Amino acid sequence: MAHVVTPLDQPSNYKDSQARLDRQKQNEMLARSSTLYIGNLSFYTTEEQIYEIFSKCTSPEEGGGIKRIIMGLDRNTRTPCGFCFVEYYTHSEALACLRYISGTKLDERIIRCDLDLGYREGRQFGRGKSGGQVRDEHRQDYDPGRGGWGAQAQRLEIERRREVEERYADAHEGPGAVAGGGGDWKEAGSADNPLKRARSPDDEGDAARSGARARLEDHDQARM
Amino acid sequence: MNYHGGHRRKHYRGGDDYDNDRRKEMYETPEQKLRKSIINLGEVDPVQELPRLAKEIYEQASLSIPAVSEGFRIGVTEQPFKVPFYAALLRLLHDPPPDASEEAATGGSTTLGKQVLEDYWKAFQAFLDKLAWREIRLCIHFFAHLTMARLVSPQSMFELLKSFTAVLEEFSASHGRAMKAALCAAEGLMMAGPIFKQENDTDASEIINAIAAYTDSVVGSKVLVQPIARLDAEAPVIEHADELLDSALAALRIFKTDDFSQTADSFPQPYLELPEYTGSLFDLPSVLVPPEVIELDGLTTDSGEDAQIKKEEWPQYYVQLFDNDITPDPTTPVGYAIRSSILDLIDIFEVNRKECARLLLEFPKWTLPGTFKPRPGAPPQEPLAGKDWQLESTVIEVILGSVFLIPESAHKPVYYFALITELCKLSPTTVGPAVGKSIRKLYSLLADGLDVDLSRRLAEWFAVHMSNFGFQWVWKEWLPDVSLSIRHPKRIFMRRAIEFEIRLSYYDRILKTLPEPMQDPNASLMPEEAPGPDYDYDDPTRPYHDAAQSVLNLLRGRAKAEDVIGHLDSLKNTISETAEGDVHVDTVLRSVAMQSLLHIGSRSFSHFLNAIERYLPMLRHLTSSSIPGGVGIAIPEARYDILNAVSAFWKRSRHMVVIVFDKLMQYQIVDPTDVVSWAFIYGGSSDASIGKVSFDAFQWDVLKGALDKANGRVMIARRKVTALRKEEDDNAARAKASDSATMEVDAEGKQANVIPAAESPALTTALKAFTTLTREQKAALSRTLDGFVGYLVAEDKPNPHARKVITENAWHNRANWDEIEWETWETWCWFRHFSRMYSPYLRNYVNTLAEASLSKVGPASDPAVGLFKKTWNIATGQE
Repeated sequence: MAHVVTPLDQPSNYKDSQARLDRQKQNEMLARSSTLYIGNLSFYTTEEQIYEIFSKCTSPEEGGGIKRIIMGLDRNTRTPCGFCFVEYYTHSEALACLRYISGTKLDERIIRCDLDLGYREGRQFGRGKSGGQVRDEHRQDYDPGRGGWGAQAQRLEIERRREVEERYADAHEGPGAVAGGGGDWKEAGSADNPLKRARSPDDEGDAARSGARARLEDHDQARM
Repeated sequence: MNYHGGHRRKHYRGGDDYDNDRRKEMYETPEQKLRKSIINLGEVDPVQELPRLAKEIYEQASLSIPAVSEGFRIGVTEQPFKVPFYAALLRLLHDPPPDASEEAATGGSTTLGKQVLEDYWKAFQAFLDKLAWREIRLCIHFFAHLTMARLVSPQSMFELLKSFTAVLEEFSASHGRAMKAALCAAEGLMMAGPIFKQENDTDASEIINAIAAYTDSVVGSKVLVQPIARLDAEAPVIEHADELLDSALAALRIFKTDDFSQTADSFPQPYLELPEYTGSLFDLPSVLVPPEVIELDGLTTDSGEDAQIKKEEWPQYYVQLFDNDITPDPTTPVGYAIRSSILDLIDIFEVNRKECARLLLEFPKWTLPGTFKPRPGAPPQEPLAGKDWQLESTVIEVILGSVFLIPESAHKPVYYFALITELCKLSPTTVGPAVGKSIRKLYSLLADGLDVDLSRRLAEWFAVHMSNFGFQWVWKEWLPDVSLSIRHPKRIFMRRAIEFEIRLSYYDRILKTLPEPMQDPNASLMPEEAPGPDYDYDDPTRPYHDAAQSVLNLLRGRAKAEDVIGHLDSLKNTISETAEGDVHVDTVLRSVAMQSLLHIGSRSFSHFLNAIERYLPMLRHLTSSSIPGGVGIAIPEARYDILNAVSAFWKRSRHMVVIVFDKLMQYQIVDPTDVVSWAFIYGGSSDASIGKVSFDAFQWDVLKGALDKANGRVMIARRKVTALRKEEDDNAARAKASDSATMEVDAEGKQANVIPAAESPALTTALKAFTTLTREQKAALSRTLDGFVGYLVAEDKPNPHARKVITENAWHNRANWDEIEWETWETWCWFRHFSRMYSPYLRNYVNTLAEASLSKVGPASDPAVGLFKKTWNIATGQE
């Protein structure tokens, strides 16, 4: 039944970028695999929620079931970073998930499922520079379910904040601590510097981000 | 999205592979192109495209007739809604080519159409040989339309249909086989009926009578599979549902009465617009429907029963959710035609639910104009009297009808759930209301006896659906039902639906979706607190707190299992010295150890698995013996203690109880039979209810988990034996082959090698495992039957309510039922469900099981005993 439409359980172009196997070998393994990679999870989604939705594709009477769930963790913080592996006892259960679960919502996010070559030690950790998943490294959008801004954006934000904090560390009190702002136009030759610094576009961005930060905190409280 | 550096490169490499795959697809051979053109018929307007496509085929057909007939084959069997148009296309191919040469014009050769048809027949024969029923039936649609198009001889078509009704007269044809054959004949007759009427020796009533005779003979099993359970009914009471084959028959009778004038009103017949074909008719060769082949592996249990599972198909009752002016009545000609087409679509496109949803919403394109209301925004049309149905309601009704088939749906329920989700995503404003109305209708049926397992599926669908759409349900409208008895099906449903929603989401999220009065713990809908663990020994004032802490500390410190066992043994002495009153020391110890283990594993499913795996020796020690330090034979009490500890620890999360039980069986700490026993002895609602004789949905989940585990193990063991045998056969064949190659000179040596080698140790082990596991399977089933006998009809423990709730009067008085009546009714329903769900397994062991359990029932004069035995007999195929 694949003439008219493409079945949803055909292998996609997902792959483990660090697998050191040739393509054909990988395909052979995928054709037998009972492990799924699950992506786009919320950092807050629990294994029990995952178990609940993925148990709908099990065939226990055929000797199947959920063998284990491996939660993807941030390498540094050891907190969930938005992916996991679900391992079944049979291949057909994994395929059923590609047809019925992939592309539907869990914890109000559309999750994706892909056949995986199988769990190996170390794969439970994020591979991004910051410990999480690579996709969260460069993400430009704000995603409350995945820690807000992408890791790089977060890092920039932290750096900027530090800059802001350090910028005025040299502020002092007393006369002359605050600039006067300059008076009326005077004939050239005065001691005042004529070049006024233009407002940095960054300033505006910071304001927007702090608003987003507040939203993130709101969200966290909602989950507590 | 803005990717940086290295990542971008990597990403692109992936993209290249993808493009390569694509490119390969893009270079198509001319045959593939032609095939594709045929498959794609009707992308815009099938009727207008016909002449152009026919011309294209004429131009290319010299390439290969098989390519053309393959296009037809795929088109017909994978896009059945196009069948009438394929018939019209084949009709055009019976004309002489547009640039007719001398030869063709003088009729010197068979038409292209006829050549295609001849080739097509081979494909049909192949489907028939494989007994690919759906394909067979769809090919029959094609032939029926071809008969109407005057391409196929009516006589031969009639004979073809009769070879399918012949199946109905076979001795001991399974219901599944008979039903599928009957549908082939019925649907073919619906489409070709008008032609048969014009002929002399083709009498439609021959076929109709054959089907009627068959459906009359299957009354018994119908009682067990109706969506609305009526325990008091001797014969099936048709309420809010219709049976597939019965509907076909009812529709056929209307067709017949009207002299098949409704065929033109039920199916598009585009070929009738074309000039009549006057050439010779194609005679369909006569066929014989081959018998079902069951590959016997000869594996039997230790007592010689056949352990192979033959899934029996049951009559198919589709639940009705809408009035006949909203959705078509499937017992009428056009109503049957529409439902049957939608069912085929849902079945064929199971591989891609997104495409399936799209095609379902495009379905009106393939029906006669006026069948469905125009889409919002489409030009208005004059409503056709008796038609003008709502597409979305019709589609949702058929999908839910498929979900709610008993004992189970053809595909996993989650497929249908996901399909409905896709439909809602494609057209939220039109599909959403249909879904809402369906939920309300099904909810209202809960008070009228909607089957318990359907109630469970409804709650499951409800939760999954809401999880995909922001948990937006107007709970307020069900508020009045909060005052119903706590065991009323509506309240059970609401509780379950909320429980399932929480599992998919989290407590506070779901709490927010409920109106104030439903949030109130007194409403008993929402649990008082979020699901979580309850470690009985946390509180320092509780007994055994110190003992538990000492165990917990060892486990937390990852002490070796032997050390923990040693510590438990010493604890035993301390406890027995200090215990006051009548304390079962072993039980206390098991509870302390098990709960402590669950405690360290309570953070997540993975933590639990790790904890269990680390302390397997301790668990085995706990369940196998009460003698300190000794490992003896497993004792059931010890296992119940373990299961009770789990149930106590996770009393606020019954989901976890089922999960933990599953893994305890997986690691063979307990056996499925232990879990079955536990479900009956201790499984009733948590608080000191031992001795209770009612069975609820939670107990069903526990029971199902255990039985599926037992059955699944037998399945694995069987596969292993089969694989090993095959391997041995292959090895033997290879050895023989190499022998004959090398030992041709040594005749005696060759002789010696022909003696079959002894079973390999692996095979011996596998066979032994198979025997053990089938014994366990039988024990688990037997224990279940025993449990239900004990609850409902045991002679030594009569249950007076069991016979009260099954009378017609009692049922009509259900508005006044209290907890005990509803509980008992539910218990009956779960017993029914057990019987039909596990019927294929029960049949294998029917005698042993009946002997062991049915001997314990009360007197036959008791109506409860009568119902119990009747249910059992139907399920095991004895009635």
